[in-house]
Amino acid sequence: MIKRVEINYRGIFQKTLAKKIGGDIVMIASRMGQVGFSNGRYSDAPERNGIPCKYFAFVSPDLSEEELEAECGAKLDIDEANISVVLDDTMVKGVEPWAWHGVRPINEKVVPYGHMLVVSRRKPEDLVRFMARKPYPYYLALLEGDASFAGLWVYRDDLTHERVLGALAALDPQLLSIEAVKSYLWDKTHEQHRVDAAQQAFESVRQNIYEVTPAQGIDWPYEIPKLPKWHEFSEGVVVKAVPREFHLGPKGQSRNQLFKRGTTKSQRPVVRFDLCTKCTLCWLECPDQCFDPTPDGYYDVDYEYCVGCGKCAEVCPVQECIVMVDELAFEDNRSPWEHWKQDPEGYVRWAEEKKGKHRVLPNVVTGTGARVVEVEPVPVGGKPKPAARAGA
Amino acid sequence: MAVAQPVGVYEREDLLTGCQAVAEGIRLANVDVIAAYPIRPYTEVMDAISKIIADGKLDAEYIVADSEHSQFEIVKHAASVGARAFAGSSGTGWMYGFEALVVTATDRLPVLFLVGNRALDDPGAFGVEHNDALAIRDMGWLLCWVATAQEALEHVLLGYRIAEDKRVMMPMALAMDGAFLTHSQHIVRIPSQEAVNRFLPPFDLAERRLHPDNPVSIAPQVNEDWVMEIRRQNWEAARRARGVITTAYEEFNQVFGPRYKPPYYFEEFQTEDAEVVLVGMGTVAMPARTAVRRLREQGHRVGYVNLRWFRPFPTLELRDCLRRFRAVGVIDRDFAHGAPDDGGVLLHEVRSCLYPLRERPAVVNFITGLGGRDVSIQDAIRMYQITQEAARKDRLDGFVTWVGVRE
Repeated sequence: MIKRVEINYRGIFQKTLAKKIGGDIVMIASRMGQVGFSNGRYSDAPERNGIPCKYFAFVSPDLSEEELEAECGAKLDIDEANISVVLDDTMVKGVEPWAWHGVRPINEKVVPYGHMLVVSRRKPEDLVRFMARKPYPYYLALLEGDASFAGLWVYRDDLTHERVLGALAALDPQLLSIEAVKSYLWDKTHEQHRVDAAQQAFESVRQNIYEVTPAQGIDWPYEIPKLPKWHEFSEGVVVKAVPREFHLGPKGQSRNQLFKRGTTKSQRPVVRFDLCTKCTLCWLECPDQCFDPTPDGYYDVDYEYCVGCGKCAEVCPVQECIVMVDELAFEDNRSPWEHWKQDPEGYVRWAEEKKGKHRVLPNVVTGTGARVVEVEPVPVGGKPKPAARAGA
Repeated sequence: MAVAQPVGVYEREDLLTGCQAVAEGIRLANVDVIAAYPIRPYTEVMDAISKIIADGKLDAEYIVADSEHSQFEIVKHAASVGARAFAGSSGTGWMYGFEALVVTATDRLPVLFLVGNRALDDPGAFGVEHNDALAIRDMGWLLCWVATAQEALEHVLLGYRIAEDKRVMMPMALAMDGAFLTHSQHIVRIPSQEAVNRFLPPFDLAERRLHPDNPVSIAPQVNEDWVMEIRRQNWEAARRARGVITTAYEEFNQVFGPRYKPPYYFEEFQTEDAEVVLVGMGTVAMPARTAVRRLREQGHRVGYVNLRWFRPFPTLELRDCLRRFRAVGVIDRDFAHGAPDDGGVLLHEVRSCLYPLRERPAVVNFITGLGGRDVSIQDAIRMYQITQEAARKDRLDGFVTWVGVRE
């Protein structure tokens, strides 16, 4: 018997965290007399900010290490997962780690009655509504928390690592027992708060496991590309360029259909066109050319291609004009400029509702947390004001 | 070999070194881009080409690079925009540009390179060894050795013709022995431009050409889901090259007269009734063929097989040829330290090609001529004698013999 655990994480921020979790699953399982090993999906390029990646841990109570490795060793991807951990809940909208992969459902590999463990503060139905419908039931377990940056040493340790281990014990005690998790953490660190974090996660996750039925979820809207046979594509490693096209308006610039990269983002920019001064900076500075010029001189956003880097919000000189908002607040990738043109007041109401009243301002010194400030929305017809800058 | 000379095919004769003969081939092939970086013995070809350009006989971009690596990258990129390109090197210079050589093959850009064979350092030496060119043998290159200046000129034309064929599109390494061929002057018949134009069509990269009107990306990064298919394409091209080579020689003969005999990949000398033969590449053919003549005068039934094409290797043709003999002596002007039976590179190719036969000739191996050491007629006679002994005996004391080393 093989237990496969996949850990979905966002590169680079969660790479170390995912690797530590995968490694500790093996260490704890081995204390329980099982055989295991851990590896990352080798095809990933996890140095890219936000790109969806995977780490794996494979455990077996009865196979030899060699047999386990032969079954689960380095492959393009695993075929199935008993438990799929998701360290950033915005990945439930789908994952596209590289070109020709397609936007795949986050629950693609979960087996019947297998588990999804998602670190999130959302309700289960708020996650399932983005996930693909599966032909069989499986379980969704929630571990309350934010997408952790703790794998990066400059960020404060939020104990996500220990909490995920405790949560896994709640989902499959044969894989990891809570006693083994706790004794391992104690022996490794001699820090009681780490043991307690695992215990608390164990208890809370046991109360937060939901069955997802075949009736729940969505019909997956993205096509999975079919890789061509060796004689079906150009020789000499030559790839035809995307034909260059341009017109003013939404999606007016031609883009690569086989790698959209939009699943890289955990936040998206929300634009108040009514405050925009047409300064061009968002369009100019966007590293992925996601802003499409419109006939009336504004810049529409193509959210399918936006990776959520936040550069536009950073350079926008107008207060509250471009604000980054949690990706799970949005249902679709429709053109925000079209939305605004059709219903200017309705769009502003919609945008402000998505933005909420709180803005997170990271401190200048990394690792020292962030400030949350409350803002007053700028009403329709309000005048553009200069944006506040760090240190201002 | 007597050359039948159709009227108008050869415009003149001239005294040329092997390198100058290649330069004449470059002129006749109307090459567009030449990248140069000096290293002996290749240097003479860049000198000769620059003179041809300076004399107004060839209109080409001539770029002196800052290293072999840059030199090879320049011609690779030139080929990607559809230019017929030429570069070359020798010994360690060739090895220094190796990364560029490997990608030229995987990008399937049919550049022609001259490899003036030179011993690899250390010790620093100018003389011939085949290890430099042989290093490219598994990388998707066409690799062929010529033995005379006349062949050198003609194989520039044949080389472009074969490499640029749509079914092939592989870079071509034209190897010739340093000093013995590169720097030795012989009378060479120079074909007329009109005849060359009939044989060698213009280079057309078609839909792969990098051009503003045909925007393409070449060689993006890929994952494990692509590489094997790309290798499979290149494998197929190397296989297809075999038929293309045969056709190219046939058409060459039609235009220039019966210069080359089937099966073209190698040339047999007095093998009809031979009991034993030697197999070698490059200028070692001269002492070997002379030894054959002398030994035949004494009644020995010996012959010589001069292998021209190393990649693609003429597996079936050479197998059919060599199965007729009782023993085969393989001459390696190279080394493969620690290889099976401690033999040379060519030995393993020949032996592997014979392996499927139920009844195989005895095979022995000679390491000789390293670092430019001359291979004398006497050396060749000795190699024949050892091979004859192998034909008589089941076992020999030594499988590999170093010939010409101070002992």
